[in-house]
Amino acid sequence: MEWLYMYMPIAGIDIFWPGLVLIGFSVGVIGGFFGMGGAWMVTPGLNILGFPMAFAIGTDIAHIAGKSMVSTFRHSKFGNVDYVLGLTMVVGTVVGIECGAQIVMWLEAIGKVGPVVRWVYVGVLALIALMVFSDYYKAHKKKKAGVVDEHGAVGFTWYKTLHKINIPPMMHFKVAGIYCSAWLPISVSFLTGVLAGFLGIGGGLLRMPALIYLVGCPTHVAVGTDLFEVMISGLYGTFTYGVKGRIEVWAVFVMLCGAAIGAQIGTVATKYAKGYGIRVAFGLAVVACMISVILKQYKIDLAATVVILGAVGAICVYICGIMFKGAANELREKKANSKLAAA
Amino acid sequence: MKRFYRIWPAFVALAMLLVPELVMAAGGKAEMLIVVADNRTVESGWFKFWIDAYNTDPFMFGLYCTLFTGFLGVSLGLITDQIMKRTGLDLTSRKLVEH
Amino acid sequence: MKSKILCCIVTMIVALCVAAPANAADVAQGKCVSYDKDKGVLVIEEFNTKFSKENKFGEPTGKQSTFNTKEALVGITPTPGDIIRLAYDGKSADKKTFRVMNVTKQDLMKK
Repeated sequence: MEWLYMYMPIAGIDIFWPGLVLIGFSVGVIGGFFGMGGAWMVTPGLNILGFPMAFAIGTDIAHIAGKSMVSTFRHSKFGNVDYVLGLTMVVGTVVGIECGAQIVMWLEAIGKVGPVVRWVYVGVLALIALMVFSDYYKAHKKKKAGVVDEHGAVGFTWYKTLHKINIPPMMHFKVAGIYCSAWLPISVSFLTGVLAGFLGIGGGLLRMPALIYLVGCPTHVAVGTDLFEVMISGLYGTFTYGVKGRIEVWAVFVMLCGAAIGAQIGTVATKYAKGYGIRVAFGLAVVACMISVILKQYKIDLAATVVILGAVGAICVYICGIMFKGAANELREKKANSKLAAA
Repeated sequence: MKRFYRIWPAFVALAMLLVPELVMAAGGKAEMLIVVADNRTVESGWFKFWIDAYNTDPFMFGLYCTLFTGFLGVSLGLITDQIMKRTGLDLTSRKLVEH
Repeated sequence: MKSKILCCIVTMIVALCVAAPANAADVAQGKCVSYDKDKGVLVIEEFNTKFSKENKFGEPTGKQSTFNTKEALVGITPTPGDIIRLAYDGKSADKKTFRVMNVTKQDLMKK
């Protein structure tokens, strides 16, 4: 069974490569569908494979950058990426992340960093999950009552209030279909950036719901635009982690082979999913992440790993299901249509 | 002037990206890790290239990693794109339905 | 769009091919005999590459080598007896070292 193990030249160890491909694939599917990097899902998987932890984060980020490229291109063809909005938000994200990191350093100086960061993380995740589910509940009620707009029933519409702010420059984001002050996406991305920097995460998990609820993007465009940002920050992360000697380049390649296929499946699956389908599944992923963080806080590492990998597996199967069912339906319809045309 | 308004954030973003110390990588700051990759038993030239870059010049290694990742992202994207096209699915349009 | 992507690919390939590493480093591994941080001198007893269960890091060769670590990136400070792996410029007379890794004390599985 030697061929199942691959030599990692920098760490100098042999790793079970099908495991790497599988991790890449499942995170690719989930990332393409939700529009996030998903580093929190990769690390426990790498841990189980016996991957050196010193290289885990850097390798994660490099593979996420590559994977987001694949997803961004695909989303871009669907018209799901608002590049102008993405670039506008990069400004806020960058400054925000740096501010968040400064807060962490200050907490480190007063010696309270560990628990504070974890509990803020749990609080934020709980808030996001609560928001997603209550929004779904509201939209569901509206649909039953027959209150439906051009894209179907929508729950929270906080962004409508925020769009009324008219501090110049006003910008029209065509793909997202939004006309608002440039300061809205900048300040939203700044806030999510501060949180991301503070929590030491990429931020896709925070930015995706922020784009929907605060900026007012349709779910599909939020996913695509967020992936574009993940791609930019991922490439920069690859560079800095590379300089610090924390990337196992060969593992990036192996993981990306799985992730590229996964990213295509996850991205195309968004075509067959309704916005709220994506939002609810995202909420479930957030809950899984929250539980794993709580378990880690109490040092129940094994259970945390089981929760994360279980959630990753289940969500991945769910998304693949959507994709294959939708694709089969589309192909069947196409066939029927061409038969009709021929007749 | 209107046109400038539309693209100014892009310029600011690029300017920020050029100031490395201001930008923190996603995932938190990492300490420099001093690992020496062992090339004594490695025969493959490809592996040797990476090991040598890693051992001798951290900056160039970071640059190669970024280029390699970008290259992989684009080329694997193109390959899987071709595969998806062969399935005969419509990959250029979708309906925006929220609920 | 397609031609732009192709241009990107070609540029990256060219960049990767042209920019070969300036230095090819030799690697040595062995037991630390002495290390003078101020003078930047590290002496090790070199091991060969015959790895086995008894000799995880190779067999001792008895050959002592001195390295110039003045400009090197040194990880955890080596103490006599530690297993050290280092990358050095084989062409320079004083064996100018790039990186020094303390194999004994560096736990790669730790974050």
